[in-house]
Amino acid sequence: MRKPRWPRPRGLRARLLAAFVLVTVLGAAASAWASANAASAALVSSHQQRITDTVAAQVEAAAPHLTYPPDQEALDRLDQAVGGEALVTFGDLASAGAFDTGLVTGEIREAVRHGDEVVAQRITRDDRSWLLVGTPVVTTALDGTRSPSGIEVYALRDLADVEREVDGLTLAAFTTATAALPLSALLALLAARGVLRPVRDLRDTAGRLASGDLDARSEPQGADELAELTVAVNEMAASLQDSMAMKERMRADARRFVADVSHELRTPLSTLAAVVEVLESSTEGVHGDARESAQMAISETHRLIRLVEDLMEVSRFDAGTARLHVEEVDVADTVRACLRLRGWADRVELEAPERVVLRLDRRRLDLIVANLVGNALRHGAPPVRVSVHPLPGGVRVTVTDAGPGLGEEVLPHVFDRFYKADRSRTRTPGSGLGLGLARENARLHGGDVTAADTGSGARFDLVLPEQEEER
Amino acid sequence: MRRVWAAVPVLVLAMGCGSPASEVVEGGPAPTGVAPGVTLYFLDDQGDLRPQLRDTGRLGTIPEAMSLLLAGPGGSDLRTGIESNGPQRMTVTVREDVIELMAPLSADEVSPAGIDQIVCTALAAHVQSGGSPDTGVRVGLTLPTPESDGIRTCPVEH
Repeated sequence: MRKPRWPRPRGLRARLLAAFVLVTVLGAAASAWASANAASAALVSSHQQRITDTVAAQVEAAAPHLTYPPDQEALDRLDQAVGGEALVTFGDLASAGAFDTGLVTGEIREAVRHGDEVVAQRITRDDRSWLLVGTPVVTTALDGTRSPSGIEVYALRDLADVEREVDGLTLAAFTTATAALPLSALLALLAARGVLRPVRDLRDTAGRLASGDLDARSEPQGADELAELTVAVNEMAASLQDSMAMKERMRADARRFVADVSHELRTPLSTLAAVVEVLESSTEGVHGDARESAQMAISETHRLIRLVEDLMEVSRFDAGTARLHVEEVDVADTVRACLRLRGWADRVELEAPERVVLRLDRRRLDLIVANLVGNALRHGAPPVRVSVHPLPGGVRVTVTDAGPGLGEEVLPHVFDRFYKADRSRTRTPGSGLGLGLARENARLHGGDVTAADTGSGARFDLVLPEQEEER
Repeated sequence: MRRVWAAVPVLVLAMGCGSPASEVVEGGPAPTGVAPGVTLYFLDDQGDLRPQLRDTGRLGTIPEAMSLLLAGPGGSDLRTGIESNGPQRMTVTVREDVIELMAPLSADEVSPAGIDQIVCTALAAHVQSGGSPDTGVRVGLTLPTPESDGIRTCPVEH
């Protein structure tokens, strides 16, 4: 794009102002110029006519007293009668004290020699404007016929006075045009305010809508295009609000459905779990396929119970009803207990200082660590390492494994619900909610869980800040 | 849009350049009044008016022409209808469309043809010095008669 040569006004106000002022000043200047021009022309023309008439009258008054054909003395007398700078010629004779004949232009000489009129022409001498008047002196016969006498009279008259008057008129015109400037600027500002206020209101409304205040509306004023735009924006906001409300309602319905379903499933599952335990203790004497089926039923039931429990936890987070139960917790001890209780103590290398005591929710810390380690054991490969690092005002727990790691396309979705890195491996012991729940729990503490690929496996970092006193 | 803005300075320039025209303008008829002499009217043998160019070298004024007329035809073979031994000056007032002559003559001293001489000579001088040919002449005599006081014109057709 070509760069503009000078900075163009950007704002509506500046553009309106510039256009208004330009148009007004141009209009004022044009009209002032035209009237000044007309007045000047009239002034100059009447002044010229007066000069011409005066010269003609002077010649006519002196003519009857001139000897004809005139001698040098007669020419000088006529020259004096005309006065000022004058030139009288008759054939080769010219009056004494005449101005330079070179000033008489060929045009006017031609007009005088072959015409029967007083003629005038404006000329410039010494950078000043002069009127050159020329006339033949004619003889009139008794019957009134006029014929040239051969005497020519030229007179130079200064036009400085009239030029000064014309200059005055031009100055007045210029002043008028300039006087229109502040007035037009004022009008432009008023007009701009009328246009800009609704525009600014609309901008504010749009800003509030964008920042989530769907109740924002602007009051349409008047019945112009801006008012129509305001009405249209209001309608848009209303329909947006409706669709947002509907979507919100549908999402709430879906969440409540999940919560209800998992709650309803829990009671029969508890019964089923009890039954399965009885079944488990009675498989001692059974052999073959029956025993295998029984074992499968037991493990699937446990998995179902864990899934339902995770779902309930998820719906608590979604409903915003999850609460922290903060207490003094030794993080190292909690992690150690977590591994021991789940029977992972001999499959996981733990690296932890003796005591790291913080105010945290013990149950949720246990859940996070269990999810991270369980995930590493299921999807990664040994050695799985857990390390606990005290931080100023918090703790970091890192879980690493030596498995296939996390690919580019997996990394962003690791914490998504029911996300499977390997689509073909649809049946895994996990619920598909574990990592997501771990992150939700960490965030409930004000901390976070992040995933990274170490190049030789996956690494999950849990960072938890210490909690304030119980509120 | 850019083209519209570019037109603005052109417009301004075009407006600013109102240079005054310096062509030759005409301003009425040329002055007249030069002549090699003055024309006086006398009478021939038949009593008709005859113009006589008196070679004075210049046209002169109506009073001068009147003085020459009153002085008589001189050595020529023309006659005059005015008593030549009377006073030789006349008061002349030129108005808009009439020339008023106050002749120091009584009706006895000037014949009707002599009044025509005065009228024609005054009109000739008036026309030659740029006056209108339609101007009338009123000749005032010292003892006015009703018929002598009207506005007259020269009976000679040129």
